[in-house]
Amino acid sequence: MSRPRLNSAQRRGLLGSALLGLVVIAVVGAYYLWGEAWQARILYATFVNLLVVVGLQVFMGNANITSFAHAAFMGIAAYTAAICVTPAAMKAVSLPDAPWGLNAFELSPLASAALAVLITGVLGLLTGLFMARLNGVGMTIFSIAILVIVHSIFLHRTDIFKGNQALFGIPKILDLPQLTLMVVAAIFLARLFRESRTGLMLRAAADDEVGARAMGVDVFRVRLVAWVASTLFFAAAGIAYAFHLGTISARPFYFNFVFLTVAMLILGGLRSVSGAVFGTLLISIGLEAVRWLETGPVLAGVKLPELLGLSGLALGGVIVAVMAFLPNGLMGNREIDDLVLRRRNGG
Amino acid sequence: MLEIGRLRVFHGVIEAVHGIDLCVREGECVALLGPNGAGKTSTLSAITGAARATGTIRLAGRDLSGLAIEDRCRLGIAIAPEGRRVFANLTVRENLVMGGAIRRDRRALAAEIDSWFQRFPVLGERRDQPAGTLSGGEQQMLAIARALLARPRILLLDEPSLGLAPQIVGRIFRIIEELKAQGTTILLVEQNAAAAIAVSDSVHVLSNGVVTRQGPAAAFGDGSGLMDELTGVHG
Repeated sequence: MSRPRLNSAQRRGLLGSALLGLVVIAVVGAYYLWGEAWQARILYATFVNLLVVVGLQVFMGNANITSFAHAAFMGIAAYTAAICVTPAAMKAVSLPDAPWGLNAFELSPLASAALAVLITGVLGLLTGLFMARLNGVGMTIFSIAILVIVHSIFLHRTDIFKGNQALFGIPKILDLPQLTLMVVAAIFLARLFRESRTGLMLRAAADDEVGARAMGVDVFRVRLVAWVASTLFFAAAGIAYAFHLGTISARPFYFNFVFLTVAMLILGGLRSVSGAVFGTLLISIGLEAVRWLETGPVLAGVKLPELLGLSGLALGGVIVAVMAFLPNGLMGNREIDDLVLRRRNGG
Repeated sequence: MLEIGRLRVFHGVIEAVHGIDLCVREGECVALLGPNGAGKTSTLSAITGAARATGTIRLAGRDLSGLAIEDRCRLGIAIAPEGRRVFANLTVRENLVMGGAIRRDRRALAAEIDSWFQRFPVLGERRDQPAGTLSGGEQQMLAIARALLARPRILLLDEPSLGLAPQIVGRIFRIIEELKAQGTTILLVEQNAAAAIAVSDSVHVLSNGVVTRQGPAAAFGDGSGLMDELTGVHG
């Protein structure tokens, strides 16, 4: 008797990914149907965040280890892709003092992206060899160290990265349709990883490390695989960021962004890919709504007062409320297909 | 099959087991009995590699000292741990798949998991439920099935009756009896002396980290006297 190649959990994973993909496409569809042009920028940023948060779920969610290094890997990929793809003539102006001939060559977008993924992946592997040997808080501290070191390099090697100044002249290569495809692909990959043998071992080790080792799990290896895999998602996010905005600088790849994306994952529920997706969409869209309220808009004929700083307050308040009432996040351990199938079975 | 010599087990600087000898032959069920704190679980931890130990531990002639926990599993040691430490956030099915994590024959593993679902229908009904939501008895069944899916040379059972209702305890010991009848080699750690003696070939009694009595199970009668000795209740 031949069995299908995918087991039942993986088939469920495909269903769940497809449902999440539909949610993402519905958001894009709503924008094209009813949105205004300026909202494209917000939606693009939301989807870049989505790539990052789904990548975070791959390691942090499955291994249940908090990591803050993702902005560093995203920045490495963004700068690599940007430097490679920017025309040499433009780099002669934007990076006049760049060493090693960095301002004297240019690559195709595809080659630039491939190189960015390769470099980020290799750095992911090198850091992962140390990271995966550590435990709990040690890993978190190590991830902060990576973030601080990389940011410091971005800031102070101004001949390559321009520091807080903008590295400009990057051609616009990607737009919302391509990014939407990337996000949907990322959702499928993250979910299939979660349901894979390695993903399962990682989740088991998160529950009980000694117990998992007693079943023969090489915890170091599975953590390393997940860590490197997640850096590839961050690389994709960095490339998507650089290939759209036209300019990049070091500032966005630091703590503010790190905390925001970690909050999105935790709020949604870090154990599930669906949690990552819903957490990102809710916080991104919610924050935009609050930012709009901040400016003192006219609502139903009433002029609301300006409430500067409301967005930070609201973000903090929502996180505290969710953590107080739903400590495992909105989705907990559940995926979207769990909810849909349960409802169908129950009803 | 499993030979232990002059085993001393340490938790930090504290020595929990003071040089015990133990032997489990192929197809045999050996009971390691003792009160709380006697060093029973420490002995199992030393065998799986989870606790620091000196002395010799040999499995099928192979010295296990210096081997990591996961390598010992690959050599054929599987444990159903104390307190039924199942992976609470994984589903029942995922727990069982984890039991066979070292196996490459995935089809045979899937078929074996299905056969466990037939043997324990309650697990089958709850295959997609998080294991943490099962009752104590169900979790114990899951822990035993999970350990056996690694196809171990020896199965270590750490207090399988702990905290279970008497009816469920009876069920768990019937399972142990069946496993023994199928030729599974078992090292059984228990406080429930009577039930453990009934399914075992030989018995070691551990107290304060040393073996105080040992011999064939028959020499311990129905174990009622030993129960009093272990629990400190004298009638």
